[in-house]
Amino acid sequence: MSTNGLRTRRGKRLAASAAGIAAVALTLAGCGGGDSGIGGGGDEPAAAEECPCEIRFAWWGSDTRHESTEQIIEAFEAENPDITVVPDFTDWDGYWDKLATSVAAGDTPDVITQEERYISDYSTKNVLADLSQLDIDTSKVDDSVLAGGQIEGAQYGIPTGINAYAMVADPEIFADAGVDMPDDTTWTWEDYVTTANAVSEGAGEGVWGTQDYGFNEAGLNVMARQRGETLFTPEGELGVSEQTVADFFQVSLDLMEGGGQPDAARTVEYQAAGPEGGLLGTNQGAMGVWWTNQLGALTDSSGHELELLRLPGETEGERTGMYYKPAMFYSVSADTEYPESSAKFVDFLLNSQEAADIMLTDRGLPANTEVREGILGELSPTDQKMADFMADLEDEIVDTPPVPPHGSAEIADIMERVNTDVLFERITPDEAATQFMDEFNAAIAD
Amino acid sequence: MTDASTPTQTATATAVPPPSDGGGPSGTEDRRPTTRPRGRHLRAKVGSLLKHAGLIAFGFVMLYPLLWMLASSFKPNALIFREPGLIPTDIDLSNYTDGWNALLHPFSHYLINSAIVVLGSLLGNLLSCSLAAYAFARLEFKGKRLWFAVMLMSIMLPIHVVIVPQYVLFSQLEWINTFLPLIVPKLLATDAFFIFLMVQFFRGIPRELDEAATLDGANHLRIYLQIMLPLSMPALATTAIFTFIWTWNDFFSQLIFLTRPEMYTVPIALRTFVDSTGESSWGSLFAMSIVSLIPVFIAFLFGQKYLVKGIATTGIK
Amino acid sequence: MSVIQELSRSKQSVSPRRKGDGRWALFFLAPWFVGLVLITAGPMGASLYLSFTDYDLLSAPQWIGAENFTRMFEDPRFLNSLGVTFMYVFVSVPLQLAAALGLALLLDRGMRGLALYRSVYYLPSLLGGSVAIAILWRQIFGADGLVNQVLALFGVQGQGWVSHPDYALGTLMALNVWTFGAPMVIFLAGLRQIPQMYYEAAAIDGASKFRQFRSVTLPLLTPIIFFNLVLQLIEAFQSFTRAFVVSGGNGGPSDSTLLYTLYLYLKGFGSLDMGYASAMAWFLLLIIGGMTAVNFLASKYWVFYDD
Repeated sequence: MSTNGLRTRRGKRLAASAAGIAAVALTLAGCGGGDSGIGGGGDEPAAAEECPCEIRFAWWGSDTRHESTEQIIEAFEAENPDITVVPDFTDWDGYWDKLATSVAAGDTPDVITQEERYISDYSTKNVLADLSQLDIDTSKVDDSVLAGGQIEGAQYGIPTGINAYAMVADPEIFADAGVDMPDDTTWTWEDYVTTANAVSEGAGEGVWGTQDYGFNEAGLNVMARQRGETLFTPEGELGVSEQTVADFFQVSLDLMEGGGQPDAARTVEYQAAGPEGGLLGTNQGAMGVWWTNQLGALTDSSGHELELLRLPGETEGERTGMYYKPAMFYSVSADTEYPESSAKFVDFLLNSQEAADIMLTDRGLPANTEVREGILGELSPTDQKMADFMADLEDEIVDTPPVPPHGSAEIADIMERVNTDVLFERITPDEAATQFMDEFNAAIAD
Repeated sequence: MTDASTPTQTATATAVPPPSDGGGPSGTEDRRPTTRPRGRHLRAKVGSLLKHAGLIAFGFVMLYPLLWMLASSFKPNALIFREPGLIPTDIDLSNYTDGWNALLHPFSHYLINSAIVVLGSLLGNLLSCSLAAYAFARLEFKGKRLWFAVMLMSIMLPIHVVIVPQYVLFSQLEWINTFLPLIVPKLLATDAFFIFLMVQFFRGIPRELDEAATLDGANHLRIYLQIMLPLSMPALATTAIFTFIWTWNDFFSQLIFLTRPEMYTVPIALRTFVDSTGESSWGSLFAMSIVSLIPVFIAFLFGQKYLVKGIATTGIK
Repeated sequence: MSVIQELSRSKQSVSPRRKGDGRWALFFLAPWFVGLVLITAGPMGASLYLSFTDYDLLSAPQWIGAENFTRMFEDPRFLNSLGVTFMYVFVSVPLQLAAALGLALLLDRGMRGLALYRSVYYLPSLLGGSVAIAILWRQIFGADGLVNQVLALFGVQGQGWVSHPDYALGTLMALNVWTFGAPMVIFLAGLRQIPQMYYEAAAIDGASKFRQFRSVTLPLLTPIIFFNLVLQLIEAFQSFTRAFVVSGGNGGPSDSTLLYTLYLYLKGFGSLDMGYASAMAWFLLLIIGGMTAVNFLASKYWVFYDD
């Protein structure tokens, strides 16, 4: 029995390892297969579309967005009974893991929500279709806004809406501290530091002037633009000088020294706590730099009437630096089976008043200026304030920065690391500037 | 643990109250032949009190974060971070009702989905891992050491690099968006952790038992079914508890393999309350986290009973 | 591998009659074997192949030889994450096991409220990698957290532990120790499996409690201690979720909590450099494999099996 058993075993083992190799081969063929589908690109749409059909729409967000998006899908399906839209949603972090995995397996969602940090990666790898080839009406979107989704002449994403990076201020804390609110049309970066320091001094223990701004590259971009530079050039290279980067980090150090912002450890902690747990949200600070779409979350958790201010230095430099940032993009998969239905759905999301009435400002202030007008009357007081602020900026904004280059998904990480090192005084602002340039260049190089 | 006042060998730990607590005559089931002098009684009582006080204080430290979460789940969203104290100023149940209904389906839908995945995994792990463990613990076969090493190796690779090939594999089988990728691997003993666990336990069972059974004419299947499994209740209970909890909490593979909202499980549903780029519903997150902890806690309370039913209580000598 | 040494010991006790269990082995191992071939081997092999490629998930992999492996040792963040991980593993695993064993012994024998204590101590482990952990941890180790409130009672001015590069890793280790529930349960199960007759025999011989612990409990528990050690080491090396959640996903502040798998994940899914991530994974497998082999080798000298 034993010799017999041995022989069978050996045979089985051989067979098994062969099967194992086959399984690997199968897997890798799968990877390749996914790719070959993508290789076609968006310029050759499928001949004829057989509907009824089913398209998958992927987005990220929290429960409120999921609920409203579901309503929009219902409205779309009522208008287009032969198209079924399958929702595919998750939180921000999970979204990108899932998207990358499904693209790798050739299982890309038909309509994809994109963001400026990732859109270059996905478009340069031919995952996204050129939307200008599809039947989507973009005539109601400002050209400069639309340009935010263009890479080398192709429209890989259509902005859903716009945000601006702005100063949020809490008038109650200013009043408590006995400090006047700054005039945001004239204030300089130096004014910002002195104002914050004064608030900290006036408000007493446990309340600070401002929350550190150094974790987000958008602030750096604004400062660079005020000096006639830009974070990224249209060619996808770094366009900011080392001096500007050093000056940017120096502001944080000045604030810490003057007491205008908390010590380094607290600053990092508040940064991690998001809008709700930050200084403004917990009534512990008078100012903070946030995206305009976060005003709602900040106002709700603070319970105070917060105000939006322009960033400092807008009149100090050679030009203004603030800009409209596309909140997200609608994109369509390059290898979707149903490009026409997908385009129809994107067109609905972008141009339908019905969709806009449900969505309101959840995906940024609508990029379509016509539906934007249409929803103004229905906005909450906070959103109204945001819309007014955005409208005020319109004449001051010079242009929209180019799409960040391929590899820019790492920017947030690098920024956070360098800024933390500066705050804990492990490196000087000058060293930070050098490190920043090196790491950025390495990230966007490959 | 060397405290002389605690009996070291009551027959069943939970069934027999220790004499130091009861104060009455020491349990007749207490098989320890030594006698307990009455003078030690008071000391034992004080010692026991101290021990309980220590355990309760330690328990509070352990539980503080959970208590904080419980307290926060009763606060309005806006107050969670502004008033982070442990005692809510007023009790507000709206996080529970809002959270329950906030997503596309009522939260019970996700609880049921999770339960399906958990039950399938539970069954799979208990069956397939104990089978494999029996082979490694009790059988002699060629290449055993090699296969054992291979088994251990299979749990050493981080999931993040195998998930993409796995996704490709499962999508070719058209298993994406079903519970199959989450359950079938468990039926095929891919959680080698539990094989290893059971091997360690099986090896602790005296060999005389199966040798005696062999002499009685029992084959390996009968030894496995009638000796190993009944005597390994602690190991099986451990496996069951862990499978339950890990599957219940597993986020990454469920996120990747389930793409339609109606298939979502609890961990994915919980994440959808938080949006790091915009507004988050922390209150709902805490409330639903508490709700989803309840089944796990019950599973544990129920399952741990079996942890104490080992060989120690089966009376085999 | 040295699993071999360990397993070879059991061979000595095997009677000739029991040789040739091959068919039975096939029967018992069949499900595992099918799983290994169909589900485990393929993806593992694929990741090994990918570790020699430049693979961004979005387009086909390009063969680049061992470049990923050589690149690792010139990558300061990689080297840093290696240091952070070793620190984390070798401090928190012994602490966690000691806590688990101590409480298991304390909670093992007759005592009122036993089931409740066990469950309460296990509760933290149930939370797992919940997103809520990050906030809960801030409530304890934050600038205004529980620890600093207690310190303030003694007039000590604390600071934000969780967000300070020098202490953040410490709070992460505390989190690992805090969730000692899993090894504790395994210890409890192991204690339950020690045959009562050994204690009776020892008691008849007049052995003291401490002696019984030393000469009955401890030796008979060694297979379970060994198991816990091996498993917790493997798990700690792969620790991901906690570091991910507590650091907000980036291993901060200043990479101080950048555990190995977290960096691997950031490379694979964040930077879309799955080839490099796969190479890292296989290097980690070598580390863990080596560590486990050493463990098995050493176990010869201290682990006691009844068979």
